[in-house]
Amino acid sequence: MAHTSFYPPSGIYSDSYRKDMRIVKTKTQWIMSIASLILLFMIPHIPFLNSTYSLRLLIGVAITVIICLGLNMLTGYCGQLNIGQSAFVMVGAFTSGLLNIHFGWPFWACVIPAGIASAIMGAIFGIPSVRLKGLYLALTTLGAQIILTWIALFYIPLTAAGFSVEPIKIGTFAFNTPQKFYYIAMLFTVVMAFFAKNMMRSGPGRAFIAIRDNDIAAEAMGIDIFRYKLLAFIVCTFYAGVAGSLFVHYMMWAHLESFTLNDSIWYVVMIIVGGLGSIEGTIFGVIFITALKEFIFVIGPMAEGKLPFLPIGAGSGLLLVIIGGVAILFLIFEPRGLAHRWNLFKAYYRLWPFGY
Amino acid sequence: MEFFGKIIAAGLMNGAIYGLVAVGFVLIYKSSSVLNFSQGYMLLLGAYIFWSFRAALRLDLFLSLILTLPTAFLMGILIERITLRPLIGQPLLSMITVTIFLSLVLEGLVSLFWGTYPLQQVNIFPKGSLKLGKTVLTTESLFAFGLALAVMVALILFFRFTRLGLAMRGVAEGHQTVQSMGISVKRILTVCWGIAGVAATLGGILLGGTLGFQLGLSHIGLLAIPAAFIGGLESPEGAIIGGVLIGLVESIVSGYVGKAAGVPATYVILIVVMFFRPYGFFGLEKIERV
Repeated sequence: MAHTSFYPPSGIYSDSYRKDMRIVKTKTQWIMSIASLILLFMIPHIPFLNSTYSLRLLIGVAITVIICLGLNMLTGYCGQLNIGQSAFVMVGAFTSGLLNIHFGWPFWACVIPAGIASAIMGAIFGIPSVRLKGLYLALTTLGAQIILTWIALFYIPLTAAGFSVEPIKIGTFAFNTPQKFYYIAMLFTVVMAFFAKNMMRSGPGRAFIAIRDNDIAAEAMGIDIFRYKLLAFIVCTFYAGVAGSLFVHYMMWAHLESFTLNDSIWYVVMIIVGGLGSIEGTIFGVIFITALKEFIFVIGPMAEGKLPFLPIGAGSGLLLVIIGGVAILFLIFEPRGLAHRWNLFKAYYRLWPFGY
Repeated sequence: MEFFGKIIAAGLMNGAIYGLVAVGFVLIYKSSSVLNFSQGYMLLLGAYIFWSFRAALRLDLFLSLILTLPTAFLMGILIERITLRPLIGQPLLSMITVTIFLSLVLEGLVSLFWGTYPLQQVNIFPKGSLKLGKTVLTTESLFAFGLALAVMVALILFFRFTRLGLAMRGVAEGHQTVQSMGISVKRILTVCWGIAGVAATLGGILLGGTLGFQLGLSHIGLLAIPAAFIGGLESPEGAIIGGVLIGLVESIVSGYVGKAAGVPATYVILIVVMFFRPYGFFGLEKIERV
């Protein structure tokens, strides 16, 4: 499904394994990566881009990227479909929120326990992967979504009604506006993306890919399938938990409504549009779908206003039709996602004007 | 005891409908090994189409049924042609995810054309009640139960005794063998999706008649999936038994535990069953050879 080994720029010789595995291969790439990182953290100071609206969008993208990175490691790299990701985000979010309001723990002490709580849940629902494969396993994740939401709704006081959570603080400085929270979100996203990229090019990542491509062959080569599948589940849900923790401290409000089955499906849409088995693709997919969603939020009510024959709620219907339709079109016409297009584009400009 | 009888009756009635929807899953899975996550939304769309004929155009009950069922068949065929046919040869994972996205599209279409509010109630079955000892059964639920059972028996007979049914069972065994015997696999797949659409729509109409026509109807899909899995994905009879089982579990648990525990309980049971019998009670055990 994923095919990312494109040619590097000409004149780059990978004469050792270390060199072949480098993420950043040329001086230009170094300059561009550092420049884009600086640009990323400068956005709150750039006019037009620093409105509260656009910063809110970018923070949403950053948090969703973390969720989808985890999902892409499980689904894209390891080949295990997960349609319950938002339940694991919920576990992280509520763990973090409850620790915060019951024990007064600050965000920095909550975020790792939140990730671990999610990972434990992920491991529990990943255990059936000893015997189950493919769509059978997808079903247990659907079960996770339904069972975990139900537990949160009826058995944990507070979570059903929603509760407020403190913002992130360093000393007495609170990150309580989008302008301030932006840095935290981007910091986490960059670190998590870097970790994901590294993990996927090292031993466990290659084991995941082997399991995805052919699990019997992988087992024959000495890969402990159950261990690595479980590891994939744990990593995936750890990311979800951390993102959930970030999310509640950003919204300063934890509520069940934010974690539905539909959200889980949207995450799958995002990684498929972006490109299964690609870290860059995850980011493209999240940006693309978020932009599409915003566009429809604008035109949906307009359509409802202009076309009186449409019933109430038609705007939300339009949103679903377009998002679902885009995802289906991507699956049919570009199953490798935006990441593949991006690689084609890079190959094109490297050879330009001598491409043939 | 009275309460228990009531619960069992409700469970059986719902279970028959879950079984009917689950048969749709099994049909598609048997012929193409794709799990159709959008079955619940096909049910929703079918039920809404029926509602349009019956309530919006004020047609006769039988006339609207006669108009709805071919439309539902067409809906199944269209879904197969547009979304699944181009994916033949792609990994199974993309075929399954495409059905998940299809459910988004179908739900979107329904709210685009009919809105998100529940529609006006339509009575399908004559009102009345029947006393069985101390348990009171409404004729509505009896009719629904009977109709669901009749449709399922018809489907099973269709599989056993018709040429088309035989061809479908052949396709389920293996595409190449059947192709070499001069049966068009594509045509069979199309028919399968059509029948699945009809089965879903019938379930939708039966449920809509009792629960009302609303977006929540699609949640039946969430209950029919465990039914199909517990029964075994390859067996229509298993789907029906699974459906009744799930219906009973759901209604007993929500009757005695309350708190909307029915659906989560079925998933707990599903995961437990999957753990000990990964291929359900009547499914084919897959043996992997290299």
